[in-house]
Amino acid sequence: MSRVLYDEATRIYPGSTQPAVDALDLDIADGEFLVLVGPSGCGKSTSLRMLAGLERVDGGRIAIGDRDVTHLPPRDRDIAMVFQNYALYPHMSVADNMGFALRVMKVSKDERDRRVLEAARLLDLEEFLDRKPKALSGGQRQRVAMGRAIVREPQVFLMDEPLSNLDAKLRVQTRTQIADLQHRLGVTTVYVTHDQVEAMTMGDRVAVLKDGILQQVDTPLGLYQHPANVFVAGFIGSPSMNLGEYRVEGDEVVFGGARVRLTRETLKALKEEGSDRVILGFRPEDVTMVGDGDQDDATFLVTATVVEELGSDAFLYGQYADTTDPRLLEQTVIARVDPNAPPAKGDRVRLRIVPGKGRLFSASTGLCLPA
Amino acid sequence: MSTSTTGPDRTARTARRPVQAAPRGVPQSPLEESGRGTRWVVAIVVVVAMLWTLVPLLWMLLSSFKNSADVTAATPQFLFTPVLDNYRNLFTGANNLWPYIWHSVLAAGISAVLAVCLGALAGYGLARTQMRGKKHLAFWIISTRMAPIAAIVVPLFLIFRGLGLIDSIPGLVLAYLSFNLPFAIWLMSAFFAEVPPSLEESALVAGCTRWQAFRTVILPLTKSGLVTTFVLCLVFAWNDYAFAVVFSGPNSQTLPIAASQLVTQTGIDWGQLTAIGTIVVIPMMLAGLAVRRWLVTGLTLGAVTGE
Repeated sequence: MSRVLYDEATRIYPGSTQPAVDALDLDIADGEFLVLVGPSGCGKSTSLRMLAGLERVDGGRIAIGDRDVTHLPPRDRDIAMVFQNYALYPHMSVADNMGFALRVMKVSKDERDRRVLEAARLLDLEEFLDRKPKALSGGQRQRVAMGRAIVREPQVFLMDEPLSNLDAKLRVQTRTQIADLQHRLGVTTVYVTHDQVEAMTMGDRVAVLKDGILQQVDTPLGLYQHPANVFVAGFIGSPSMNLGEYRVEGDEVVFGGARVRLTRETLKALKEEGSDRVILGFRPEDVTMVGDGDQDDATFLVTATVVEELGSDAFLYGQYADTTDPRLLEQTVIARVDPNAPPAKGDRVRLRIVPGKGRLFSASTGLCLPA
Repeated sequence: MSTSTTGPDRTARTARRPVQAAPRGVPQSPLEESGRGTRWVVAIVVVVAMLWTLVPLLWMLLSSFKNSADVTAATPQFLFTPVLDNYRNLFTGANNLWPYIWHSVLAAGISAVLAVCLGALAGYGLARTQMRGKKHLAFWIISTRMAPIAAIVVPLFLIFRGLGLIDSIPGLVLAYLSFNLPFAIWLMSAFFAEVPPSLEESALVAGCTRWQAFRTVILPLTKSGLVTTFVLCLVFAWNDYAFAVVFSGPNSQTLPIAASQLVTQTGIDWGQLTAIGTIVVIPMMLAGLAVRRWLVTGLTLGAVTGE
């Protein structure tokens, strides 16, 4: 178990001028489960491979515990990694796969067998120890890959999208098992995924990357409730946050026929920026349906184009009805509605943002504005 | 409301509709119809190709067991009393076949082993190195194999003469290596490229050096490639006549040279010639059968998810 530190770690691939990972600063506490998340090509896997020693570090440094491992080969880092394709050795049995690292480390056979059996018990793999990987199902292979990492008893676990090859049901089941296992073992874990639901449900903290730059690192709830910028706001959450750029008139933002008053702090920040436009964001669950009697300036009309009924939830996808602005007409508004009495497709519903739940971002920098 | 009520009805009607089997004798699909014709054409081509290959071999094998009168008879003799005279004559007398066999085994065996060892190392490097012009380098390596032997024999002869390698087994080994190594590198590189890099990365993280990862993880997975490359290099060197006739002498002559010595200006000893031919062909046929087994083995199956 160890603390992991990325200190302005940078990776620039040969032939490219743009860093794949740009001055990454991350301090991962001992025993913490940190998830690196972001869209394809954001540098999350590169960051993980830099920590593993499989990718060169062109700038900055990386430390595991008290040791600077920036230029150490992978074998000297005391880490274990679970690969996206599991990378099981097809010519070895499950037991040999799991005990491979121990054999390389010249651990005695008795000790090796004991640790392999212990891990196999933990992962319910005992009956498969003599099988070859090709005779296992996807979920079993995934568990063998996990077992191979556990047997090593490393300082840090690295996991590179280990669930992406499982079907949806097994993925949900396995992510719970991994989170539980990590909690029980208490080993510092860096986990890469492109799936924000996986990130939110598994990590103690989540680091969001985009174009090689760290956007924000926080607890799942912190990211959800206080996104640092428009990218994080749009990336975290499913369905995603409603985001749109609107005009500011006086001390109000005007959108879809509604007017929402801005706070003094927001207005001050906008004035300093010299902008009369602002990006307004609100989560689907942060709007309420209002009856015609409750209509006021802060409400807006939406025509439902799709209504998703999920049983426990229902989501309305619609378009602003009370506007002629072509830019607004192109926008889709998503709202969580009562699953017991959802509106029908084509219905016009009046919505209001729950006071204090709207998020405002600078139209020029995308950064969150003070509320 | 109307939509929701008609939906299940329609589904129910579809479910009740009986599934009718196609009438017997009627093709299920145009693909199947064309498939039958294709199958006949393929069968005929295979039979012709098999006869084309096997008849000369069978003729050679049968002739090697005939006495000289039967071998040279104007009417082919299919029923004859088999004799071992041709084989006995090859292995007795002053100019017996054993030294030729030994030279062939040494030259072909050593050159094939070296080609596989060096080819595996270079092929791995070529498969894994990320550098500009890699494709050009790979093509340049294999292009040296494309030159006709006649084109490289003269320069090689001059080099070998300077190095004192004419009429020596090392000379023959080097000559075969010059031709086999590019092929071995190219073939092994293709086999290594098939192995997912994550396997060796996993080994590196597990504590292996690059050499350990290559030896313990990558080489066992390309066993079929190693065997195939070895046998193909062996067959080339074993069958070679062009290099042997130029670079060998009394101390290094190989089996094909021994065969050629039976064709003289005074006549051809067909019986002994077919016996040598049989001796040359049988080991390579066995090797070919071994390659066949390995070629179809996909050892990397199960290495990565979904395979």
